[in-house]
Amino acid sequence: MQNKTKKQVALILIMTILLIIIMLTGLILGSADIGPSGLINVLLGKGDVLTTDIIFSIRLPRVLAAVILGGALSVSGFMLQIFFGNPIAGPYVLGISSGAKLIVALVMVFLLGNGIIISSFGMICAAFAGSLISMGIVLLLSGKVKNMSMLVVCGVMIGYICSAITDFVVTFAEDSNIVNLHNWSLGSFSGISWENVFIAFLFVIVSLIFAFIISKPMSAYQFGEEYAANMGVNIKKLRILLILISSMLSATVTAFAGPISFVGIAVPHLMRMAMKTSKPLVMLPACFISGAGITLICDCIARTAFAPTELSISSVTAVFLAPVVIYMMEVRHG
Amino acid sequence: MDKYSTTIENLSVGYTDIVVSDVNVNIAPGEILAIIGPNGAGKSTILKTITKQIKKKNGKIYIAGKDDNNIPAKELAKRLSMVMTTRIHPELMSCREVIASGRYPYTGRLGILSDKDNSIVDRIISLMNIENIKDKDFLKISDGQRQRVMIARALAQEPEIMILDEPTSYLDIMYKLEILSIIKGLSKTNNITMIMTMHELEFVPAIADKVMAVSDGKVLEIGSPKDVFSGDKLEQIYHLKKGTGNIMSDGLWQYSKGIEESLKCQK
Repeated sequence: MQNKTKKQVALILIMTILLIIIMLTGLILGSADIGPSGLINVLLGKGDVLTTDIIFSIRLPRVLAAVILGGALSVSGFMLQIFFGNPIAGPYVLGISSGAKLIVALVMVFLLGNGIIISSFGMICAAFAGSLISMGIVLLLSGKVKNMSMLVVCGVMIGYICSAITDFVVTFAEDSNIVNLHNWSLGSFSGISWENVFIAFLFVIVSLIFAFIISKPMSAYQFGEEYAANMGVNIKKLRILLILISSMLSATVTAFAGPISFVGIAVPHLMRMAMKTSKPLVMLPACFISGAGITLICDCIARTAFAPTELSISSVTAVFLAPVVIYMMEVRHG
Repeated sequence: MDKYSTTIENLSVGYTDIVVSDVNVNIAPGEILAIIGPNGAGKSTILKTITKQIKKKNGKIYIAGKDDNNIPAKELAKRLSMVMTTRIHPELMSCREVIASGRYPYTGRLGILSDKDNSIVDRIISLMNIENIKDKDFLKISDGQRQRVMIARALAQEPEIMILDEPTSYLDIMYKLEILSIIKGLSKTNNITMIMTMHELEFVPAIADKVMAVSDGKVLEIGSPKDVFSGDKLEQIYHLKKGTGNIMSDGLWQYSKGIEESLKCQK
């Protein structure tokens, strides 16, 4: 194994250990004072009923959701960056998350209005449809707008339009369940159930397996379509798979946690700097693990910083990650 | 006709309309074909058709003796490689990694290089004399060095035929000589068929075994450099003023002598 590869493997291992530590810390943090010893008791099955319930029914699903969905989001961003051949792409800035949000809100309001509660699976389907619609619009525009910065501006505009319509729908919807919808549309991991976690895990793991399977053609695609085709890559198939997988990942995130800003764009960038490579085989696990960790930290801050008031997750991710994006653009154009 | 030669028969190329028709040529292994002609004549379109980026309108192409319709994409990648004018922007990749990407058709599912792949890459790096830049960031080297790396990358595919689109454009004369001597050396020592487009006519006689002149939607001339750069043929190919073709051909041969001498000294 070459030195560079050894370092990358070591870094991924260290990040995994860090992620586990952050997860344990996430289980301890919260309004109920549990502490490390309390947590150990609960994990050993010796905790009291209330503490066990708080850990297993509230905190653990939330921590797992942040890990699964945060990881999914940054992998989705990484794949979009490969697709567009540009590191300022991401599901949030291209308006894909907002498209998913809009369709989920519409479906939710419609079904709630008719007295039907939407299932996790239904939420993902709606979000996936919304992602693909936004993605379709972005792709249509990318045919006309060759300049990547302009494409990002178009994506941001699509995002605003979708958010505006979502707000409109939410404001004028009557059902009392809309309160949930309102929280969700701002982005939050609160109220995640075990069922949600399970379904999200299934969708994310399947998408990740597919992402690994296409990591080799993805690496060839980084040399541009011409060379990738010459290396024997079926370009059309690869492009479709990239779109479907990245949309599925970001749709799963939006379905359960609403739109989360900047993770998809900033984390892959941080990982490129840390790993000193853009190879998918290294970047996929690195993005997932660090995306999971960063999202989890942001969620812990969102729920504890001004407890009992909870911040929307995007307010926290924006504060930490938007500067990374600004720095990234400054470095590229400076 | 050599059974391993690359043959183009009655080929018509173009995107929607036909740009060049009736291209016929036979190139033996180790031979270099230079395609010349004015801008927009369809030189690159011919190359892109051979590399299968564009579907051919008509005719047949035999890559090293085999009908290209019967060569699957993955196998074609082991037979044909290319160096195009499009700039690539691989992020955070060393020159060695860029060259190693040429091993793509030979690696397994995850694209991890075997020991054999690594030793082939190392051998190419030493053959191309680029040890000094192999660990540098590909985006931070000079144009001339970049072109060397791209040729090395194409070589890592272990092709029978290499397609080069204007391999020496934008380079100064030193680099032009260097790149051309590399191409010529590879064609002879590794027996690789080279098909390349060129704008610098004065370099063509010193490097090409065959010249194909494309103009006005057809192949105007095909033959040895001596045949094509003689008399007033340049006038017709490049739509030059009457009476200037002869003068240019003469000058071109003069210049070419100097280049040939320089190429002999190049290593």
